[in-house]
Amino acid sequence: NDHSERMKKFKNKGKDAAALRRQRAEVNIELRKAKKDEQILKRRSISFSLMDESLSPGEDKRNEIIQLSLEEIVQAVNGSNTELQLQATQATRRMLSRQKDPPINQIIELGIIPRLVEFLTRADNAPLQFEAAWALTNIASGTSDHTKAVVEGGAIPAFISLLSSPHMHISEQSVWALGNIAGDGPLYRDALINCNVIPPLLALVVLLLPHLLLHEDLTPPLFQVGFLRNITWTLSNLCRNKNPYPPLDAVKKMLPVLICLMEHEDKDIISDSCWAISYLTDGSNDRIQIVVDTGILPRLVELMASPELIVMTPALRAIGNVVTGTDEQTQAAIDAGVLAVLPCLLRHVKPTIQKEAAWTLSNIAAGPCRQIQQLITCGLLPPLVELLDKGDFKAQKEAVWAVANFTTGGTVEQVVELVQSGVLKPLLNLLLAKDSKTILVILDTISNLFLAAEKLGETERLCLLVEELDGLEKIEALQTHDNNMVYRAALTIIEKYFSGE
Amino acid sequence: VEDEPNKICESDRIAIKANIVPLMLSSPEQIQKQLSDAISIIGREDFPQKWPDLLTEMVNRFQSGDFHVINGVLRTAHSLFKRYRHEFKSNELWTEIKLVLDAFALPLTNLFKATIELCSTHANDASALKVLFSSLILIAKLFYSLNFQDLPEFFEDNMETWMTNFHSLLTLDNKLLQTDDEEEAGLLELLKSQICDNAALYAQKYDEEFQPYLPRFVTAIWNLLVTTGQEVKYDLLVSNAIQFLASVCERPHYKHLFEDQNTLTSICEKVIVPNMEFRAADEEAFEDNSEEYIRRDLEGSDIDTRRRAACDLVRGLCKFFEGPVTGIFSGYVNSMLQEYAKNPSVNWKHKDAAIYLVTSLASKAQTQKHGITQANELVNLTEFFVNHIQPDLKSASVNEFPVLKADGIKYIMIFRNQVPKEQLLVSIPLLINHLQAESIVVHTYAAHALERLFTMRGTNNTTLITAAEMAPFVEVLLTNLFKALTLPGSSENEYIMKAIMRSFSLLQESIIPYIPSVITQLTQKLLAVSKNPSKPHFNHYMFESICLSIRITCKANPDAVGSFEEALFMVFTEILQNDVQEFIPYVFQVMSLLLEMHKNEIPSSYMALFPHLLQPVLWERTGNIPPLVRLLQAYLERGANTIASAAADKIPGLLGVFQKLIASKANDHQGFYLLNSIIEHMPPESVDQYRKQIFILLFQRLQNSKTTKFIKSFLVFINLYCIKYGALALQEIFDSIQPKMFGMVLEKIIIPEIQKVSGQVEKKICAVGITKILTECPPMMDTEYTKLWTPLLQALIGLFELPEDDTIPDEEHFIDIEDTPGYQTAFSQLAFAGKKEHDPVGQMVNNPRIHLAQSLHKLSTACPGRVPSMLSTSLNAEALQYLQGYLQAASVTLL
Repeated sequence: NDHSERMKKFKNKGKDAAALRRQRAEVNIELRKAKKDEQILKRRSISFSLMDESLSPGEDKRNEIIQLSLEEIVQAVNGSNTELQLQATQATRRMLSRQKDPPINQIIELGIIPRLVEFLTRADNAPLQFEAAWALTNIASGTSDHTKAVVEGGAIPAFISLLSSPHMHISEQSVWALGNIAGDGPLYRDALINCNVIPPLLALVVLLLPHLLLHEDLTPPLFQVGFLRNITWTLSNLCRNKNPYPPLDAVKKMLPVLICLMEHEDKDIISDSCWAISYLTDGSNDRIQIVVDTGILPRLVELMASPELIVMTPALRAIGNVVTGTDEQTQAAIDAGVLAVLPCLLRHVKPTIQKEAAWTLSNIAAGPCRQIQQLITCGLLPPLVELLDKGDFKAQKEAVWAVANFTTGGTVEQVVELVQSGVLKPLLNLLLAKDSKTILVILDTISNLFLAAEKLGETERLCLLVEELDGLEKIEALQTHDNNMVYRAALTIIEKYFSGE
Repeated sequence: VEDEPNKICESDRIAIKANIVPLMLSSPEQIQKQLSDAISIIGREDFPQKWPDLLTEMVNRFQSGDFHVINGVLRTAHSLFKRYRHEFKSNELWTEIKLVLDAFALPLTNLFKATIELCSTHANDASALKVLFSSLILIAKLFYSLNFQDLPEFFEDNMETWMTNFHSLLTLDNKLLQTDDEEEAGLLELLKSQICDNAALYAQKYDEEFQPYLPRFVTAIWNLLVTTGQEVKYDLLVSNAIQFLASVCERPHYKHLFEDQNTLTSICEKVIVPNMEFRAADEEAFEDNSEEYIRRDLEGSDIDTRRRAACDLVRGLCKFFEGPVTGIFSGYVNSMLQEYAKNPSVNWKHKDAAIYLVTSLASKAQTQKHGITQANELVNLTEFFVNHIQPDLKSASVNEFPVLKADGIKYIMIFRNQVPKEQLLVSIPLLINHLQAESIVVHTYAAHALERLFTMRGTNNTTLITAAEMAPFVEVLLTNLFKALTLPGSSENEYIMKAIMRSFSLLQESIIPYIPSVITQLTQKLLAVSKNPSKPHFNHYMFESICLSIRITCKANPDAVGSFEEALFMVFTEILQNDVQEFIPYVFQVMSLLLEMHKNEIPSSYMALFPHLLQPVLWERTGNIPPLVRLLQAYLERGANTIASAAADKIPGLLGVFQKLIASKANDHQGFYLLNSIIEHMPPESVDQYRKQIFILLFQRLQNSKTTKFIKSFLVFINLYCIKYGALALQEIFDSIQPKMFGMVLEKIIIPEIQKVSGQVEKKICAVGITKILTECPPMMDTEYTKLWTPLLQALIGLFELPEDDTIPDEEHFIDIEDTPGYQTAFSQLAFAGKKEHDPVGQMVNNPRIHLAQSLHKLSTACPGRVPSMLSTSLNAEALQYLQGYLQAASVTLL
């Protein structure tokens, strides 16, 4: 079915180019390890002895660190002695901040979460608020079940109100906790949004970046880049996840601030705000349009060329998502200069960058022939051919799609130019790829090339070229491929172009 | 089971699933294999959703410690999982794989480690080792399947375990596992071969993660190659291993692993050269199984051979190291040639290897049609040809060192574009001479080489080798070619027959003196093979050769057609009578060719056959339809009057054929070919009574199943009818079927669809026909049809000026060829029985645009004022501009 769909496109050449664009989510199941270059969903705050001191200014330094058993903790937390409450909460937090195997489950099983949440409301006892917030942050950083325990303990409203705490470190810890909750998935993300998490978060940004409100004379009270990083990360988690997407009005509220954050000089802040944009663009065309309308594309393209991998990666993703959109949206990305940056990225040493860049290119190549022309004019063919020849396999697969789309939507002249740039040899070599889909796409591409050759009366020359480059024997060998569609596609080509004398 | 509702009742299914695994595991190995297949068939339907406990059941058996049971489980797992190697990525598939990985990956890994340990504890127990190694092979295969779609997290985390063990298994040897069998691969070879595949999979797909391990594997595999013997049982392992090296050495970031001169030399010396040697098995194939040998050697079905793998490695290395590699090999070639020179009869294999090496080194790109098209410039091909190839072919005995003769001939064949023409001319008599060699390979290669040389193109698109240059050799060439067909083993040798065809085509009239003898030999051959046709290519070229003989001879002397008929009809009759299905379509084509050679009335011998051609049984076979239609067309062209006068009772039969053909979506165009010939050639009065019926049949088909192809043919037909019988007659016959029908046809079919007509002649017919409707059909001027006049003119101008509309409605993309009943001998068009395109309009109209202008002019003189007013009311501006162009070109004006 999938194939006949594609056949249709292939026969009605160029008529349904929009449908050629491939959205990111082809398969929701992953066999791979979670990618190292993905943004982190949840983070735990780990306590190093030194940082511990500096991060907890409220802590009573005279006190020796007291080891408590779990029973003692339960007792103290549930008791009414504030001093003991603080000690126990701190002990809990310490355990949860251990680098290796924090005992999250055991702590949850103690049933003290509602109590810890209650501590969050103790405006009179800032140290207790802080320790409770930290402990809960780390519980929320675990599995979905762990986060659930925190949310069901009623932590969401408590944390949201702490955002406006007069103590900077408490509000920062709350931002962090909320980030972990938002990162759990669309359900809690929307729960947060419904509890109005966004206005106080944005207010914090304004506080830290006062020039946002043009109060240039107002110097930031306490300029903490770490804090801003946390907020940006939390905002990005509020933009993250589909099914469903975050509500539109929430997105519209966050976008202007995110765009300002992209102008910051700190690379982590830029990175996370780019991630946020990449999530917002990973969706239907109307979602993409909202981002395009902000005029941020030129900045994103600029960031794509950043030397920092953590910036380049999400910027590339965002632009890659934009070009899955309509022809106009793709054109906006082209006008923002994406084609000038792509050659470098196609040649990048990191395979994942190569792959994303090739994917982006493949969606631009799925556009109308005027966009294909721009792609040629900007010199994208040589790096594409190089990638096809020598790139990492993941990138090669995407490059194959790029070539396939090019031959579907391109004019005969453009296809000729593609062939002249030497695409055929690496393309045919990839018929040995250990991936049925890639092989099928190549075979369809070869059919497209033959259609173009027929129009020029050059079928015979193409036949010879394919044979010379050892393509014929590879196609012949595919006639015994175990995948039915592959073998049929190979057979069709052989029968149509290589069976006669 | 496929797609059909569940025919086995649910309780039985469940019972089977519950019992089949234990049953399989307790059965002896042979039955176990079959039950294991059964499980995978059921699994294809029910696994994983409807068979949730299968995996746990299987994994639990790993604990049993009984390797008979474990191997059963592994085999079943392999047959269940191997589809992951070829299926497309999909959510469903990946969900299944994930499920399998979660349940299976860890137990499999533990089993792998445990099995390896057991291998070392049982290192001295041959029978235990055999069982354990069978397990390891299956485990390695499962690894391949489970890692195929993507690199699973589990295997990435456990790469160290797997790769370290794979690596040590590659280097492992155990005397107890070595087999005496020379042919059949042993367990050790199979395991190592699978490990090479696994390493190649990782190298290709998961390069980033695999990089740290790759150099170790390169070294291990290369050492493996150096230490592996020449026996056939190692072939798969060796070619897999070499292919692994070949794929790695092309990668820029692994270049450094091969760069060192010593490494290169050692790869050339110890890996490539030994695997290029002509082995005992090759020699056997050369002598006893020449057909297979030729196919492998000539047609490149040698993908899995050692020689081929070695050759690929040479080409891979040349990507970065062409100079050094060529240098190293030149030394080898020279020393091997010297060895040969010392004692040819003992050392001829050295020369064979030298030739093979030169060939693989020199060829960078190759096609069947042109041989080598890109050569390594560092190799002097002509010099090698003159010094080392020609002397072998010049030697007095054609039967001495047959392998070297075959090598030499093959060298000419593949380097024909590199070797200068004068050298090729010197070689031709040598090749002709070798047609007499006893060795099948040698005389087949000689025939094939000649055939290839004769197809080479020179300047200005003539053949490179001319008939004049061949003049001195015509007789000996033909004699040797036909004699070669009498050599043992070559009586139906397609290469020789193809060379005969090609020689005729090149030599043209210089073969005429030999035709009597040639045609006798060909008819005898035909008679002989028609008893049991088995070589389709041979047969095809034989008929092509017959057609060429007819054409060439009759071109010079048309009367000679009679003597061909005399020679051939007897055999043809026998073929038709014995219903030799493979040959009948050919016979019809040759008969068409012969009939078309006649300039006068159709001979009575043909007329006697005519009724038989209309027999329905002949039309049942799809392969017969095109040549039979063609033959009937030839009858109509040459004998329409005779049919009308002497065989009028056969006209309904003829129309019956037409009726049958247009009823089928696949063959309707053939029906129209026939109908068009009837309309064009039959005297009108002889078909008068059938005309209305014909139109009704066409309308019925149009109503029942309208396809683009049918409409196109229909349009051509009605316009041809209009040309032949006049526009008025066309209008009358439509309107006689149903009032106002003509208008409907114009409005619903001609005007909207005419743009789809394809083909020069077809378009011309339509243009002239429509011009007639516009200008010679009074009802178009003064009835309700008048409103269609301008749209029709506009459509005609569109037909002239716009690109053809080649869109096909979606629903027609996948028309089933529903009326092709099963597989039947397909129709093979004979190139040399070809028919010139027939233009029924012919000289009557040269330029249809001018013709339109002139006709309009005539119309406007008949009714002044009308035409310009019709034009100005609704013809669009662009069309009007074109029309003015036509009028100008015809120097006429409209009144």
